[in-house]
Amino acid sequence: MIEILETGPFNTVQDLGRPGYRDIGVSASGAMDPFAVRIGNILVGNDEVAAGIEVQTFPFSLRFDRRTVFAVTGADGDPMLDALKLLPWCAYTAEAGQVLELKHPPTLARAYVSVGGGLDVPSVMGSRSTSLRGSFGGNAGRPLVKGDRLALGNSADFAPVPANGLAVIEPAVALRDVFPDFVDGTLPVRALPGGEHALFPDDGDAFWSQTWKISSRSDRTGYRLSGEPIKPTTSIEMRSHGIVPGVIQVPPGGEPIVQMSDANTAGGYPKIAGVIECDLWRLGQARIGSRIRFVRSTHAEARAIEQAVARYVEDVRTTSEMIKRALKAMA
Amino acid sequence: MSAIDFSDPTTIALLTDALTAAGVSGLEISWPGGQLRIVVATGEEARINVSSTAQPVSAAQPVVVKAPMAGHFCSGNSSRSVADRLPRSVSAADTLGFLRVGPILLPLCAGRAGILTRQLAEPDTLVGFGDPLFEIEPQS
Amino acid sequence: MIATLNNHMPLREIVPAAQGRARVSSIGARSFLLEAPGEFDLAAQRRIWALSQTVRGWPDIAEIVPGMTNLLAIFAEAPEDPDTVVARLLEAWDNARSIDLAGKTIEIPVHYGGEHAVDLPALCDLAQLSDREIVRIHHEATYRVFALGSAPGFGYLHGLDPRIYMPRKTVPSLKMAKGCVTIGGMQTGVAMLTGPNGWNSIGYAELQMFDPASPTPAMMAPGDTVRFVPARIEL
Repeated sequence: MIEILETGPFNTVQDLGRPGYRDIGVSASGAMDPFAVRIGNILVGNDEVAAGIEVQTFPFSLRFDRRTVFAVTGADGDPMLDALKLLPWCAYTAEAGQVLELKHPPTLARAYVSVGGGLDVPSVMGSRSTSLRGSFGGNAGRPLVKGDRLALGNSADFAPVPANGLAVIEPAVALRDVFPDFVDGTLPVRALPGGEHALFPDDGDAFWSQTWKISSRSDRTGYRLSGEPIKPTTSIEMRSHGIVPGVIQVPPGGEPIVQMSDANTAGGYPKIAGVIECDLWRLGQARIGSRIRFVRSTHAEARAIEQAVARYVEDVRTTSEMIKRALKAMA
Repeated sequence: MSAIDFSDPTTIALLTDALTAAGVSGLEISWPGGQLRIVVATGEEARINVSSTAQPVSAAQPVVVKAPMAGHFCSGNSSRSVADRLPRSVSAADTLGFLRVGPILLPLCAGRAGILTRQLAEPDTLVGFGDPLFEIEPQS
Repeated sequence: MIATLNNHMPLREIVPAAQGRARVSSIGARSFLLEAPGEFDLAAQRRIWALSQTVRGWPDIAEIVPGMTNLLAIFAEAPEDPDTVVARLLEAWDNARSIDLAGKTIEIPVHYGGEHAVDLPALCDLAQLSDREIVRIHHEATYRVFALGSAPGFGYLHGLDPRIYMPRKTVPSLKMAKGCVTIGGMQTGVAMLTGPNGWNSIGYAELQMFDPASPTPAMMAPGDTVRFVPARIEL
């Protein structure tokens, strides 16, 4: 068990989501930074799809009631275990009674707590993610509150985490050639032109060339962007069609909306572009008030990034397992 | 350390795996009871050589933080570089640096409170299992 | 916070999806949307159902989402060459023969009028019909589930009598109750979640149509026939 000691609103149980049910109107949900969840799970010896806690309102703290392997990934900032400052992106073993505390991260938006065995909340439609809108999944379909107690699954890990921890070179550093850094404080987000791109004048120049700010009316469902409104040359409405996270719709007001993890399953606003899937985790780590700029990409580039991510994840998995095995044998 | 049997094929296989993963071409380990030499050759089996030396070693006064396995020695994140700020006092839980194997970082902890007096390996060099990395003068 | 509108995407019946032949566009790198040309009608939707069956079987498909005379195909990986995918989808569309899904018939008891029918007076004004006539026209029609989406278990129903057409609101109701029986443009449906809603409520249905714990969570499926049965009329 773990017990939630302190939490803000909107911290939820999430895993990699509930895809496959959009055709009955069910959003996929899942972590806003799935990359951090995958790596956190690998570090603690879980299957990648195990459920953890998405923390997006800080401070947050929990108590372990038994010896538990855990890792904090995603947002920057140093977690604390009792009075001890920990490394982020590092698996440790907590003893019964120890308290993990996450303070407000300096720049990024969301931290993920992974625990050995994963959070043992019921799987609903193949996922433990919380669907806030549908009020199901996760911990009783709602955000975590102080006093919540969450059961842990049985860890199937074959070897213990090294006594001093097991860390990883975080994705943004290890893949810095693949994920370009901020430019003058603005996050570059790669996207492909969408179905109604041609309706926007000058090849969508007003969209691609301006710096957008993530407005305060943004959440896990979607980010509303503030900036100079963009208008299509003709006003059209689409028949209702399936949409996915990353779609950039332009409602009549002209300020784009990027659908995120809790994206609606259907939409009808003109789509000027769509964020490539492998850049969504970076958008998931972008905070309200921060600035982003869209960079035109290609399917080939998106594929190359996906493959680089897959290689990195596989490398983390095989190397961490090998190290744990080697250290166990030598212990 | 004395519990490890370097003539055990399983241990040698694991070390060889670790070397290969770390991109290290060879490793030589000396311990009170002998010496192990593994040379990883591309395209062929690793050559392994274990010999016995049995020389007594006298316990040194400072405590040495050793590499828990083969890998690249990193003296810490750039923001936490320690090499240029020695000597300094450390507590047992302090992370002094990392051993990097591929994308994985093994934190190197002081293990005891004391004065960190020396860094014994060059940053970003390959080190072998048991190589001395830091020297700490214990404080009681 | 983004206020998500329940079933806020109406049938935009004014605009034909595409002239001439089907159109394929992409959302991100893995998802492709095929939009059927021509009218929004059962014939086009039957071909979408056929296309859905074909595409669902492709080995590189992760998920499909049939919409209103369109289909979103989500691939497991980003394709190197999108043109190949577009060509495959268009070819599958060209080969898609109209099929009729052997759906079940769902009868939904409705309490017409009453406290939830907040938009019934406005519809009377718009349609120049009495409330009793509107209720009769609504429950006498037979509807088909074209697709599900927007909210868990929400079915887009086709078959509304044009006499009781009512455009969706420009300012949505902020907290419409789950169960409200609504009209949005040329469509009708039952609200599946309590929340903001741009459709017009004329009644209320207690029938539970979504259960996340069930092996088949949604009661409705594309192709099903829906009939609204007056359980009570309170005018």
